[in-house]
Amino acid sequence: MNAIPTTIVQALSPADTEDAAQKRAALAEIDASCRPVLLALFGCSLVWLLIGTVLALIASWKLHAPDFLANAAWLNFGRVRPAHLNAVIFGFASEAAIGVTLWLMCRLCRTPLMFGWVIILAGIFWNVGTAVGIVGILAGHSTGIEWLEIPPYATPLLFVSYALIGIWGIITFRYRREKHLYVSQWYLLAALFWFPWLYSAAQILLIMEPVRGTVQSAVNWWFAHNVLGLWFTPIGLGAIYYFIPKVLGKPVYNYSLSVLGFWSLALFYNWNGMHHLVGGPLPAWLITVSIVASVMMTIPVITVGLNHHMTMFGSFRRLKDSPVLRFMVFGGMSYTVTSLHGVALALRSVSEVTHFTHSTVAHAHQGMYAFFTMVMFGSMYYIMPRVLQVEWPSARLIRLHFWATAIGIMVYVVPLIVGGTLQGLAMLNPDIPFLDPNKHSVVGMTLPYLKTRSFSGMLIFVGHIAFAVSFVWMTYRWLKTLQVRNPLATRL
Amino acid sequence: MSVIWILFVTGVIVLPATALLALRWAMRQGEFRDLPRIALSIFDEEEPVGQFSDHFPGAAPRGNAGGPGPSSDGKRIRHHS
Repeated sequence: MNAIPTTIVQALSPADTEDAAQKRAALAEIDASCRPVLLALFGCSLVWLLIGTVLALIASWKLHAPDFLANAAWLNFGRVRPAHLNAVIFGFASEAAIGVTLWLMCRLCRTPLMFGWVIILAGIFWNVGTAVGIVGILAGHSTGIEWLEIPPYATPLLFVSYALIGIWGIITFRYRREKHLYVSQWYLLAALFWFPWLYSAAQILLIMEPVRGTVQSAVNWWFAHNVLGLWFTPIGLGAIYYFIPKVLGKPVYNYSLSVLGFWSLALFYNWNGMHHLVGGPLPAWLITVSIVASVMMTIPVITVGLNHHMTMFGSFRRLKDSPVLRFMVFGGMSYTVTSLHGVALALRSVSEVTHFTHSTVAHAHQGMYAFFTMVMFGSMYYIMPRVLQVEWPSARLIRLHFWATAIGIMVYVVPLIVGGTLQGLAMLNPDIPFLDPNKHSVVGMTLPYLKTRSFSGMLIFVGHIAFAVSFVWMTYRWLKTLQVRNPLATRL
Repeated sequence: MSVIWILFVTGVIVLPATALLALRWAMRQGEFRDLPRIALSIFDEEEPVGQFSDHFPGAAPRGNAGGPGPSSDGKRIRHHS
């Protein structure tokens, strides 16, 4: 135990030390209350991350080696690719997001996690629903609607789970001890409110009572784009707004800007989505409104980017000391880059080239992985030691995790944007055939980029294994400390 | 058609109304007053302003302005003093 400096002891009155001790105990109580729930949520999310990565590797490999696993019907590209998407979106990303949200809400509301069993129950429903959905997709029961491929028989489980989480969020907020809301809470509460609206509206309009014709594609893109912007993005930004200042020990550069960033995101983001349908059979005004809203997104993006950068300003050398900061700053910078890239992609002249190409895939991964997933990794690196009271077991594994995933996603995104743009230009050229093994063709020219994509996937997979090993090792260490503290417990 | 109308009413009236109510509630609560103080609300006794609160396992945090240091065994972390 560390000795307390005498100057501090002298400076504090008995009342002060008692108050400080109470606050410290309250903090420990909050972290302890989250322990079983977060272990379950983060543990399950990591299992889905590994499953999702394997499915991604299979899908990616098939793009340049179509005979790979060609005899297994349940592993054809049309099934593996949506299985990957849903495994990482609902299995990994949403579960990690819910875990991070729970901890941040408890910490910021300064209240312990109440009714933990409700969240455990919700987690069971969520995992069963996702597992049934993924198996259903691999069995050929996909709905065929992008980002909503999970068969209708699995979605009620996700609904029940989410309802429980939403109710929990309201209860925690109701019983908060901190009167004022920090900006992260705005983001988190909005995400908890927006997701059920998006998911239920899309389910009703596309699955339960499907609308007809081109409106389907409009609703589909509205959902697919907004689930990224109104579910994952607010949680990612809320986490960055908490962890970067917290780790650095200095408040956010300009709090007013952060409030402006939140409200402008809320105002502009949900108009986005239709820009993916440039050239499609939709009313021109609908697409134009979406493009205008996409350009307006520069306001929240610049406010957030400016705030994160200026908060870090003068502290960049700290990146070598802190794993959390590395992941957070990488995620924050990726958010700025991917959002401004998205604004450019929304413009008609750009979209005419890049739509239907690998460039869109690169952009989606830049947002979902380089930004959101890296922020979730950073959040877990901060949260888990505080919840389990045990340090991460290996600095080497953390470094391997960071560099493998950071380099991996860069090797994924940059070549695929270049290749996708060249692909789009080639598709607009009538002299270049789409597929011809004997001539320069659109498909042939993309092969080097697709092989690079598979290589980057393997690199990312190495990083994920390093993280999974760290997580399991850390949990094992925590169990060992329990045995030391209470030997009888191990015999029971 | 009825479902479409429900969604239309929800999207055009209920959701914007909820956003406006949230904004009104926030203004009444004084959420937009004294913003610098709210920016400090994430800091506490355990991890105060001026304290760098993350480091690689096994490495002692350096350059802190104050606050508790690392645990003596380098493995267990704070809370239990």
